[in-house]
Amino acid sequence: MKLTNMKQSIRLSVAAICLALTVPMSASASEGHGHALKDANIQMDHDTLRKGLEVFTNVCMGCHSAKYLRYGSLMAYPELGLTREEVDELRGEHSLMDGMVSELTPADAIESYGKVPPDLSLITRARRGAGNYVFSILTGYEEDPNGKIPEGNYNIYYPGNRIAMPDPLAWMGHSEDETAEIEGQAHAVASFLTFVGDPHQFERERIGVWVLGFLFLLAFVLWMLKREIWKDVKH
Amino acid sequence: MIESMMKTRLFQWVDARTDAGSIIRSQLTEYPAPRNLNYMWNFGSLALLVLVLQILTGIFLVMYYKPSAEMTAGGFTVAFDSIERIMRDVNFGWLIRYMHAVGASAFFIVVYLHIARGLYYGSYKGPRELLWIIGVVILLIMQGAAFFGYLLPWGQMSFWGATVITNLFGAVPVIGDLISEVLRGGFAVGDPTLNRFFSLHYLFPLLLAAIVGGHVHALHVVHSNNPEGIDIDHEKETIPFHPYYTIKDAFGVAVFLIPYCYFVFFNPEAWGYFIEVDNFVPANNLQTPAHIAPVWYLTPWYTILRSFESKLLGVAAMGASLAILFVLPFLDRSKVRSARYRPVYRQMVILFFISVLVLGYCGHSAPTATLKLVGQIATAIYFGFFLLLPFVHKFEKTKPVPERI
Repeated sequence: MKLTNMKQSIRLSVAAICLALTVPMSASASEGHGHALKDANIQMDHDTLRKGLEVFTNVCMGCHSAKYLRYGSLMAYPELGLTREEVDELRGEHSLMDGMVSELTPADAIESYGKVPPDLSLITRARRGAGNYVFSILTGYEEDPNGKIPEGNYNIYYPGNRIAMPDPLAWMGHSEDETAEIEGQAHAVASFLTFVGDPHQFERERIGVWVLGFLFLLAFVLWMLKREIWKDVKH
Repeated sequence: MIESMMKTRLFQWVDARTDAGSIIRSQLTEYPAPRNLNYMWNFGSLALLVLVLQILTGIFLVMYYKPSAEMTAGGFTVAFDSIERIMRDVNFGWLIRYMHAVGASAFFIVVYLHIARGLYYGSYKGPRELLWIIGVVILLIMQGAAFFGYLLPWGQMSFWGATVITNLFGAVPVIGDLISEVLRGGFAVGDPTLNRFFSLHYLFPLLLAAIVGGHVHALHVVHSNNPEGIDIDHEKETIPFHPYYTIKDAFGVAVFLIPYCYFVFFNPEAWGYFIEVDNFVPANNLQTPAHIAPVWYLTPWYTILRSFESKLLGVAAMGASLAILFVLPFLDRSKVRSARYRPVYRQMVILFFISVLVLGYCGHSAPTATLKLVGQIATAIYFGFFLLLPFVHKFEKTKPVPERI
């Protein structure tokens, strides 16, 4: 098969595509919001996810919901694997089919914070930087160098720096020996929310390994067969 | 396998009452194909495969999807909720949905390569003009189907993408506003828009299936081109489609499915190229995203649109950039088909491919002054290709074409 001419143009085109693809990727990585995001080192093992769930229910759910995460799923997803008793304690009066919705009503939220806190079910997928974004925001509170934005509403990672959410993990003014503890909480909840954004990701990848393995084998067999069938054709 | 199937009593019974046997023989088992087709000829069958995958996964998605922009808790809508339900609660819903989302991009990758093959080897030239024109119709319907489908998740990019594109039609003189209004079913993109886009998103693939039938039929009348671009002796230089090209296409399918399944199972968002980050934010008509860009497969035409200061000129240029494909077979007057034997055309067509890639890149990125200039240059090259084409044969010294493949 004489591919030489087309090959050259393919090579050129592939080079151009690679060039075109790498530029926006490196651009979006550094995009951040003036500041490059911290690397949260997201880990979705059982212990981290359970710890993240705890931070989520104790802190985040004061204002935020994750309505696409049903109480029943906490048992059903093997990555979380809560027992029925643990779920019953968490859900109170809610049914297993209910999503995890905050007690804070939108009207009360607007009165207290000026806006409705976003639902967190998909937050890691809806922000550039995913889990790193959540981690950075939670540990990004500082004093406004210009002294304009009130304390607790200035976040170096938030677009425009003025964030309505007041420092949920008490990052500002913490002592040095608390740093690891608070970072641990932020890391756990960022990891938990990364899991919640796509709860079938591990199942997907597990199946994917078999699918790809099968396809490589299939491609090999079909290639052998093709060679056998074509062996007498002059081309 | 096909031969033994055709010997069964059931097939004999059917064959006695229809022309099934003669169709299978003339179109498949004895259909003569050039023996020198290279792997660039695999993309036609791959496009057909992806079309079937899209229709099948689409049918299953529609069993759970609800086209309604009615608000639900948390700033979401019924449509957005129904997709998350597919992703989380429906058994293997995530698989079907990711196959469909990745499939949309895969469809365009395969079809763009198919078109590039046709351009490079001169497959659009006589006697295959009509085959090419049917292909352009397929491309336009595909782009329409993709555009309608992208609204359905009702995310920010769905909403604002549809807003930008339907607004474009407002630039048409006199009847512009009427067209945008009819498209949207109102003055702004809303629930009626979602419902009519959903209806059209179901209709277009069915049209596609019918027209693809026409495309294949037209191909089987004029027969395949080949890398040498020469007319071949149908007795001596062809081989039957089955088993030679059935096995080659099957091998191509397996190779294609490897990257396809890699994206479906390991990287469905493809770094934001297949599913954009902003589309995980529910649609909000009060908040415009910082940067609105169509999905990658529509970005070349978006750049052409943005390259003109006047909206009307931009829309006209975008329309022209696609419409000009229809007349391509009549612009090219050279007697030689394949770029292998056309040194000038070969340079031109490679430059054209690069210009489309650059246009795509510019349309995907946030606009800057430099990128705008780059986009304008690429637009000029894009149209330059078509403008130069009618004159190339006058000065191009083609290389000697072989008599036989």
